[in-house]
Amino acid sequence: MEALIRPEIGLMFWTITCFVLLALLLSRTAWKPLLQAVEERERAIKHDRNTAETARAEAEKLKAELDAKLAELKAEISRRLDEARVSAEKEKDILIEEARKSAGVIVEASRREIEAQKLDAARELKSKVAELSILAAERILLKQLDHRANTDLASKYLAELEKERPELKLGGE
Amino acid sequence: MDLKAILEHHVTDQIWARVALGPLDLPLSKHLLMMGIASLILLVVFPLIIRSRSAALAPFRGMIEATVLFLRDEVVVPNMGHKGAAYTGYFATLFFFILLMNLIGLVPYGATATGNLAVTGGLALTTFALINFTGIREQGLIGYFAHLVPKGVPAWLYPLMFPIELMGLFIKTFALCIRLFANMIAGHIVILVFICFIFIFGAFNAAFGFLVAPVSIGLVLFTLLLELLVAFLQAYIFVTLTAIFTGAAMHPH
Repeated sequence: MEALIRPEIGLMFWTITCFVLLALLLSRTAWKPLLQAVEERERAIKHDRNTAETARAEAEKLKAELDAKLAELKAEISRRLDEARVSAEKEKDILIEEARKSAGVIVEASRREIEAQKLDAARELKSKVAELSILAAERILLKQLDHRANTDLASKYLAELEKERPELKLGGE
Repeated sequence: MDLKAILEHHVTDQIWARVALGPLDLPLSKHLLMMGIASLILLVVFPLIIRSRSAALAPFRGMIEATVLFLRDEVVVPNMGHKGAAYTGYFATLFFFILLMNLIGLVPYGATATGNLAVTGGLALTTFALINFTGIREQGLIGYFAHLVPKGVPAWLYPLMFPIELMGLFIKTFALCIRLFANMIAGHIVILVFICFIFIFGAFNAAFGFLVAPVSIGLVLFTLLLELLVAFLQAYIFVTLTAIFTGAAMHPH
């Protein structure tokens, strides 16, 4: 059993040689490519994460910009609407005023026309009434008087009548 | 055959021939063969798996990668600092070398090379060399020996503390050697004893032997599984302790 606890110096030499050679060779053939691959992957992941973060920050900035622009546009739209409303109100007031004015003018003109036509009609009526009375009187007086004497008389009577009662005056002088 | 002969046959090394190389008397033995097989696997299979891009080998690549990254991130860097990351390859080699030698001992016809004091002693000596090499490299020769005694020790204790710390350096290495050796050998001896129980009880009475056999086999299986755990655990412990000692030598505070 003492073989169990008696170290064989030769085997110790083998062990050390073996291990040192392994450490030297494996660091070149195995661990270096392995760690390189891992580092590459870690770098790629880091890079991807950085890229993603940058993109997100950019998107957020863009969104804020767009939001600001949208708010600006909304304000602009409401301002324009208000302006349009005010100007429409003004326009309406002007139109109404103008309509009122032109209506007044028309009313005035028609009133004048009516007045003029009334005068015309009165004058015509007056001359026609005079003529008719004369003709009538003539017929009457043809039987009694001569025509001239009777016309004079009638005119005299009419003038007198007009003087006495001006409201019955026919046509304006 | 008595128990002693069986144990010696299964647990100790079998030297087949001796080669003289200068002053060294080099044995060619069973444990050397096992170490050679472990080295061959490390030298041929590992680079093949790591460098291949085939999907079939991807799980093995993942296992190796996960182990190496675990060693780097959980063992080497926390104990040795970021400068220590450069030694990841050394620690990965150490871990897989010990692990493979432990595992080959569990395979039929295999023998546990790490269950040999010369092998664990050799590994411990490489750790001893690494501790002193990195310590001197980081702090310089004088600084390294000046920092051997921890800070805060009164000056009058230095003559006492310095030899103790110097001895501690060797004791740490020696403990590493003994720990791995004892852990690897113990399971084998327990398994052999459990199997021998069958024959010991069978010598009293054949029926008694048959009665004991299932119990013994169950216990042997349990011990074997325990040894599987110990194979991984001891490789991890050896590497972790090496990292702790090396880190302590690099950063004395």
